Amino acid sequence: MEKKEIILLLLTLCGMMTVYAQKDSVIVLDEVVLSDTKFLHFSKGVKVRVISDSVQQKTVSSLTDLLRANSTIYFKENGYGMVSSASFRGTNAQQTAVVWNGITINSQLTGQTDFNTIIPENYDNVVVRSGGGSVQYGSGAVGGSILLNDSFGFNEDWKNKFSVGYGSFNSSQLTYNTTYGSDKLSFNFGVNRRASDNDYKYLGTDKRNENGAYEVININGNAGYFINRNKMLKIFHNTFIGDRDFSGTLTAPADENYKDVNSRSLLELSSFNEQKVVRIKAGHLYERYRYFPNKERNEFSFGEANTFLAKYDYKYQLNKLSLNGIVDVASIRAKGSSIEKASRNSVSGTILISHDLTETLSYGVNLRQEVVSDFKSPFLVALNSNYKLNSNYTLQLNASKNHRVPTFNDLYWIGAGASGNLEVLPETSWQVELGQTYEGENYSFSANMYAIKSNNSIQWRPNDQGIWMAMNVQEVSQYGLELGLDYSTNWDQHKLLWENEYAFTKSLDNATNNQLLYVPLHKFRSNIAYQYRRIAFFGQILYNGLVYTTTDESEDLPGYLVSHIGLDYHWPSTSKLKVTTGLKVNNIFNKNYQNVAYRPMPNRNFQLHIITKF
Amino acid sequence: MKIKNAFLSLMILGLSLSCTNDDDGGEAPLGAYENGILVSNEGPFSNGSGTVTFISADLSVVDPAIYKNTNGEDLGNVVQSIGFAEDEAFVIANVSNKINVVNRYTFEKIASIEEGLNNPRYFVAVNGKGYVTNWGDTADETDDFVAIINLQNYTVEGSISVALGPEAILAHNNTVYVAHQGAWGQNNKVSVINTDSNEVVKSITVGDVPNSMQLDASGNLWVLASGKPSYTNDETAGVLSKINTTTNEVDSNYEFNTTEHPGLLQMEGSTLYYYMGGSVYHQNVSATSLSKEVVLSEVGFYTMAVSEGRLYGTDAGDYASNGTLTVYDLSTKLAVETLDVGIIPGGVYFN
Repeated sequence: MEKKEIILLLLTLCGMMTVYAQKDSVIVLDEVVLSDTKFLHFSKGVKVRVISDSVQQKTVSSLTDLLRANSTIYFKENGYGMVSSASFRGTNAQQTAVVWNGITINSQLTGQTDFNTIIPENYDNVVVRSGGGSVQYGSGAVGGSILLNDSFGFNEDWKNKFSVGYGSFNSSQLTYNTTYGSDKLSFNFGVNRRASDNDYKYLGTDKRNENGAYEVININGNAGYFINRNKMLKIFHNTFIGDRDFSGTLTAPADENYKDVNSRSLLELSSFNEQKVVRIKAGHLYERYRYFPNKERNEFSFGEANTFLAKYDYKYQLNKLSLNGIVDVASIRAKGSSIEKASRNSVSGTILISHDLTETLSYGVNLRQEVVSDFKSPFLVALNSNYKLNSNYTLQLNASKNHRVPTFNDLYWIGAGASGNLEVLPETSWQVELGQTYEGENYSFSANMYAIKSNNSIQWRPNDQGIWMAMNVQEVSQYGLELGLDYSTNWDQHKLLWENEYAFTKSLDNATNNQLLYVPLHKFRSNIAYQYRRIAFFGQILYNGLVYTTTDESEDLPGYLVSHIGLDYHWPSTSKLKVTTGLKVNNIFNKNYQNVAYRPMPNRNFQLHIITKF
Repeated sequence: MKIKNAFLSLMILGLSLSCTNDDDGGEAPLGAYENGILVSNEGPFSNGSGTVTFISADLSVVDPAIYKNTNGEDLGNVVQSIGFAEDEAFVIANVSNKINVVNRYTFEKIASIEEGLNNPRYFVAVNGKGYVTNWGDTADETDDFVAIINLQNYTVEGSISVALGPEAILAHNNTVYVAHQGAWGQNNKVSVINTDSNEVVKSITVGDVPNSMQLDASGNLWVLASGKPSYTNDETAGVLSKINTTTNEVDSNYEFNTTEHPGLLQMEGSTLYYYMGGSVYHQNVSATSLSKEVVLSEVGFYTMAVSEGRLYGTDAGDYASNGTLTVYDLSTKLAVETLDVGIIPGGVYFN
């Protein structure tokens, strides 16, 4: 259960940095072993939530499912399992960054991450970092960032996990992962396959989700090696291969297919002592899609991008002061059916400063300037502060300037009545946030208020000749309130964990004062996990309020409440073999709902799984 | 919102019926939508349904989504156009590959045609049949066709293979003319179809990307081609072609400048109207050159139509909300009225 311990460690570090301040060397080591801990050191005063490694996480099929149930992010899914984009704090899909081991992996072509192409199961933890993070994570970290982290365990036995699942719509899942750690070497490897006919009923009609079948394969492999006591070499890799038919809508059939490959590799050499950590990173990101408008035919359109990046990261600890300087260089090459060879080179400098002024008050100043070959990038800044009023009550304050750069599509697209626009400017946004947390013995309460104002929002519109083009058309603002209440308790052999989150989100077009498309005013979730001896139960309730589907608020999708439950049984373990069997019932009340108009979500469905550990 | 619309339509139906009853001895009304304007709205592009808005002739009543309110179902995704055959209207949903046949005055559904269509665009009725241009599979540049519709049983009873990208369609006597705009690409042809043999008897070369056609009183066919857009790296000028329909030869071509890309050719009497880069221009069919005389400027039309001295121009706004229809008096060149219609209003028709 070292995974839990690491998470516990993360949580503890988050909350009580000052307590451990004197044990610098331990922290330095943890920081090196845990791949991306910037959110710990330079995000004081920022809302950070580690998604708990409880029963519901084990069997989710995608990052969409995981975050839909464990955050207040709204997902627009073009039919279950299809392209899924996030709206974090009322921002759009290009304004949420997904960060893999410290590197932002949003598509260079579209600027967004399809959350159904990330399988969270193999990651040690998934962290939701709310609010602006462009200084740390670059373009797109406006509404928030999702951090996917691999970490390494040393001096551990060889451990294997094998799980299979089967359920409604002929859906199946297969996972194998293995970890090993000697005193010098640690590695882990995981592979997942998920497939489904996905031909669920469109409730209230005689139609089915005819063209929604998918098969995805995901591979993670990581290794860490201590060259000596002060030097460590790490290698990370992830490949995702997707083959999905694209669902139609209530009014239009579909015969499309989409095949995509995403591959990420990263090499990191770190050298450290009590005062400093030096990291040198080199990485490669590859993305490619092939879109078949008619899957019975051979013709397809495609796009691909290669990103080569290198990073030099120097961190110095001077008593209560942490200083971190980072230089990034990146070179991106993209091409496709509608993009003639295009390239972008960039270099950026980042300075992160964090200071524990007193035992209870800490603050941070973070700055970044980027120079990009094909447009002018703004100077970015983030300020944050954390103040512990007493042992229970903490105040957090942060302000930042963030950006989202034009994508390769925005700049270079050509074809089919559309054209990129070289004149388009990066979106910039300012935001402020005030957070409060109150932590009791077995409960915690948080309240966060924020406001974001963005200029130069990039949208595609027809120009006066009817050609669709990327343009800076809008000024938008978001403000909102997020409340969280977590409760956990143990008695005898009972364990109970209860998490609740509510988000109120206003996301407005400043010109019209109308709520932006697909941003619910209210979103609420409540998850309960309960374990008694060998039986574990969980329940999830998710409420999404009404969303508008037109910019003049003339049409909308009604709000809905959808619930999932699951039951796991842990069989008595024989020698080293541990077996768990479980049943999950999704949408138990058979609710007919849509999160994108005319694209219904699945009816009630059942998923069985068996997990063996040895 | 939908319920509200239904109420509204009930109210309007009631009102217009009672109005007509008050009229002294008029003929029995053909339906609530007998006298006015129909606007087809494409609807949201990726998902959802298009609609048809009815506007009464005196512009006092706007009735949204009349098909849905009358029949309780959606028209389909991307309502491209409406064609007419006597009392019937053929509403074409492009992405849904579907034509809903309705009574044009009541909008009550008669049938829907779903077989034998692939990316249907425009409809014309002639010689007892309906003809519908179809792009076919957009990945295949050789499978484009014109579907032949049986107007008695509302099925596709045949198809005529044509060149890439058939778009606008128009009938003269028993001949059908099809402008090949070029689907997602570009083309420069007008096909001539004999409806007795249902064969393409001639292909006439016109300017690049022919988008609209009109027929004048002397039997000349006017074809407006926009030219290739600049992003193709092979930008070409728009061309207005006059075709003699007796010989099916081009009588004359009027060339625009290379960067000028006109569209939306309309005609009333002997005046041609077209839209180009935010202005509406007009010229007489007897003119021997392009006069480029501006009628309206600083407008942004998604489509337009001219009838009885009035020009009806639509604005699709941000393409994700209800658009508007503005009515101009062509004698004063002033806007008479602006009315809300549906999402991406792409067709204006007169009942």
